[in-house]
Amino acid sequence: MARVLVADDDADIRDLVAFKLTQSGHEVTAVEDGMAALKAAREQPVDLALLDIRMPGMSGLDVCRELRAAAETATLPVIMITARSQEGDVEVGFAAGADDYIIKPFSPRELSSRVTAVLSRAER
Amino acid sequence: MIPPGFVRGALLCLPALVLALSLLIVSNRFVRRVQQRRRERRAEPVRGLLLELLCAEEDEQSELLNRLAAVDKRTWTALEPSLTALLEKVSGAARTALIRLYELRGAPEGAVADLRSHSAARRGRAAQVLGQLSHRAAEPALCRLLTDRDPEVRLVATRALGRSGGAESVAHLLESLHGSRTVPPPSVTMALVSMGPEVQRSVAAGLEHPEPLARAVAIEVLGVTGVVSRTSEIARALREDPSNEVRIKAARALGRLGMPEGLQPLLDAVAPGQPLALRIVGTGALGNLGAVSATDRLAELLGDPDRHVAGAAARSLLRLGPAGHAALHEAAAGVRGGSAAAQAGAALSEAAVQGRHDVRVEVAL
Repeated sequence: MARVLVADDDADIRDLVAFKLTQSGHEVTAVEDGMAALKAAREQPVDLALLDIRMPGMSGLDVCRELRAAAETATLPVIMITARSQEGDVEVGFAAGADDYIIKPFSPRELSSRVTAVLSRAER
Repeated sequence: MIPPGFVRGALLCLPALVLALSLLIVSNRFVRRVQQRRRERRAEPVRGLLLELLCAEEDEQSELLNRLAAVDKRTWTALEPSLTALLEKVSGAARTALIRLYELRGAPEGAVADLRSHSAARRGRAAQVLGQLSHRAAEPALCRLLTDRDPEVRLVATRALGRSGGAESVAHLLESLHGSRTVPPPSVTMALVSMGPEVQRSVAAGLEHPEPLARAVAIEVLGVTGVVSRTSEIARALREDPSNEVRIKAARALGRLGMPEGLQPLLDAVAPGQPLALRIVGTGALGNLGAVSATDRLAELLGDPDRHVAGAAARSLLRLGPAGHAALHEAAAGVRGGSAAAQAGAALSEAAVQGRHDVRVEVAL
C-alpha cells in the first residue's frame, strides 16, 4: 500500500482516480489545485504524486518543479495527467521532472498499472 | 439645452441602475450555485455506484449497470453532466460501460428524438451525446442537422459526424460549406480528418465538386491524412484549378504528401507571375517535400523581390539537409546578391540559435 497524492481541478477525474487507487489498496489524498497539492505534499509525506498538468493558478508542471527543488520531495515519483489535445505538454512535463504521464482519455485499469509500475521503479 | 433637473435625475438614477444590475448578477449566480448543489446532492447517492462501474471488470458490470439504469429521472438528469464529461475522459472497459449505460437508459433513441426539438440547446445537446456515443444509426439525422437554422447546432452536428459518421456523411459535410446555412471550413476539415481511412474514397470524390471551397477542403483532408494515392489528382488541381484557394491547398497538400510527382507542379507554382500567396505556400511546400533537387530553385528564390517568398525559400532550404545548408552558406557569402545574402544569413542565424536543423529524408527523384 502506498500513500498517493492526487491533484486535479476536474472533480469527475479526481474522484475516479481516487476511487480506483483506493480500490487498489492505496491511501489517497485528493486535492483540487496546485497550491493545495504542494501544501499536502509538504505536510504529510507521500509515496507518489499524480498531477493534472492544466490546473488554474499553479499548474501541475509548477508543482512538479517545486517538488523537485525541495530536498525532502526531490525524488518523489510524479505522474502527470494531460489531455490528448495537449500532448505537447508531455515533453515539458518530463523536462520539469515527471517520471511518467497518463493521457486522457485513459482507462482506470491502465492508470492503476502505471501507478504500480512507477512505485515499483521507485522502490528499486 | 438639457434642463438641469433632467441631469440631476439621471445622476441619481445611475447608481440605482448599477445597484440593480449588480443584484441581478449576484442573485443569478446564487441561483445557479443552489441548483448546482441540488444536482450534486441528488446525484451523490449513485455517484459511488458510477465510479464502481467505471472501475469494475467486465464480468462485474452487469448488476451495476442495471442499478444505474433504473435510477429515477431526476437523479439521471443530475448525474448526466458527469456521464457526458466522463465519456470524453475515459477509455477501454470504462467507456464501453458508459455507452452501455446510455443504451440501457434509452438515451440514444431519446437523443435522436431530441434532434427535432424546437429548442436549439436541446438539439445541440442531443447531437453532442450521439457523437460521443458514436451512434452510427443517427448519421442521417445528424446530416439533416447540418442545415439547421442555428449555427451552433450545425457546428455540434459536424463534430458529432466526425465521431460517428461514415462515407455517407462526406457529401453532406462538403455541401455544408456553401449555401445560406454554412459550417466553417476548419470544422468540416477536422470532422473529415477524424473519420479516418474509411471515408478517403468519398473525400477524394470531392476533388470534382463544383464548389471551390469543397474542393479545397477535400484536398486539405487528403493531404493531412496522407492519401499518397491521390497525389496526381492533387498535382492536377495545382496546375489547372481556376480557384487560387484550391491551388494553395493543393500546394500545401503536395508538400505534406512528399511524393516525387509533387515536385514539378510545385516548381511551376513558385515561378514569377503566379499569384503571390501561391508562390509563398509553394515555396514552403518545397521544403516540406524534402526534395534536394529543388535546392537550386529555392536558392534562386532567396533573391526574390518579394521578401515573404525569399524568407520561405530560406526556411525551406534549412529543411533540405546538407545540400540546403550549403546553398544557404553560399548565398550568405554574397554569391546571389545582397538581399539573398541577408535572407540566407538570417535563416542560418535562426537555426544556430535554435541549435537544431530539421533534417528531412531526401526523396529520390
